[in-house]
Amino acid sequence: MHLRRIVGLALLLLLPAATQAQDARLAGRLDSATAASVQQVVDSARRAGLPTEPLVQKALEGGTLGASGERIVAAVAALRGQLDRARDALGGSASEAELTAAAGAFRAGLPPTALRRLQSLRSGRSLAVPIAVLTDLVAEGVPADQATRSVLDLAREGRPDDEFVALRRQVQIQRRGATSNRPALQPAADPPVNR
Amino acid sequence: MSGDRDDRIHDQLLQRAVEELRRPVQLDPVVEARALDQIRIEAAGWPAAPGGFRWGAWIAGAAIAAGLLLAVVFREEDPYPLATRTARAAAAAGEARPVYLRLDAPASSRVAVVGDFNDWDPSATPLRLIGKGGVWAVELRLKPGRYHYTFLIDGRRWQGDPSEPPAAGSDFGAPLSVLTVI
Repeated sequence: MHLRRIVGLALLLLLPAATQAQDARLAGRLDSATAASVQQVVDSARRAGLPTEPLVQKALEGGTLGASGERIVAAVAALRGQLDRARDALGGSASEAELTAAAGAFRAGLPPTALRRLQSLRSGRSLAVPIAVLTDLVAEGVPADQATRSVLDLAREGRPDDEFVALRRQVQIQRRGATSNRPALQPAADPPVNR
Repeated sequence: MSGDRDDRIHDQLLQRAVEELRRPVQLDPVVEARALDQIRIEAAGWPAAPGGFRWGAWIAGAAIAAGLLLAVVFREEDPYPLATRTARAAAAAGEARPVYLRLDAPASSRVAVVGDFNDWDPSATPLRLIGKGGVWAVELRLKPGRYHYTFLIDGRRWQGDPSEPPAAGSDFGAPLSVLTVI
């Protein structure tokens, strides 16, 4: 009995410490102040029930691409806000993949209404790929309303995920074929590599 | 007269069929390029198992026969091809699947890829030069999901993947691409 109490007390003390422990990847790749600030955002997302891995990846991306600490923290905080909006739009039962895809959609400028309409047509099936394809179409330069219409049409017909991807691939080929005079590769910015 | 007309119709049909058969198969260029790269990767560095050719032929024959049998069995029940159904089953199970990335970078001495799949570690995933045309490639194994990534050329220059869509915006200035694995 005595031993059980001690173990219980130890667990109570250790559990919060475990959840607040800094992700070793952050500590290894960012300066200590930036890592601590990012960790705060990650912890707040975890407490709110939001996915945290995309936030860690965003910070690692910034670290590798040589961004300043301030810029990294701002980008991570912005992504956390987009994940929050994504959950508002899709509801508490949305999966991590759906929330991450929806956050990307907001970043591309798509409105929450587009995602809700998609959700109403795909009840019971994952929205992650259709949302991702919608975002990709807009990023490729397709007007948002036209892209939304095409994706909603596929959803209405109950098409599987690979047909959404096929649509995106087809649009990509057509658009790049139509603008073949444009250089295929975007000129790369040259931020220093942070190793 | 009627026989001549039948012959003409028959000839026209035959002509159309021949033209159809002669028409080259149009593949998605990205799929085609990746398939060719994979062949080059295998030819460049992955030796065949010793004495494996005869077994390989038997296994390939058996696989084709099994595939044809399954295709016939499932033909009436599912409008999608067997390969599509197999890929969907793998995706539904959340299994990692091979993904081939390639980049034409003829004047480069080394190319790596960094992204969500390798914690953005520049040393984790180097590409291999295949052939003599300056094509670099790598095979990844990725679970279904969405991945942001970019190529690092000669340790100092970032370049997006022209085969995949650009990411919507870049927080840190480098061109990013996004890959959806289903």
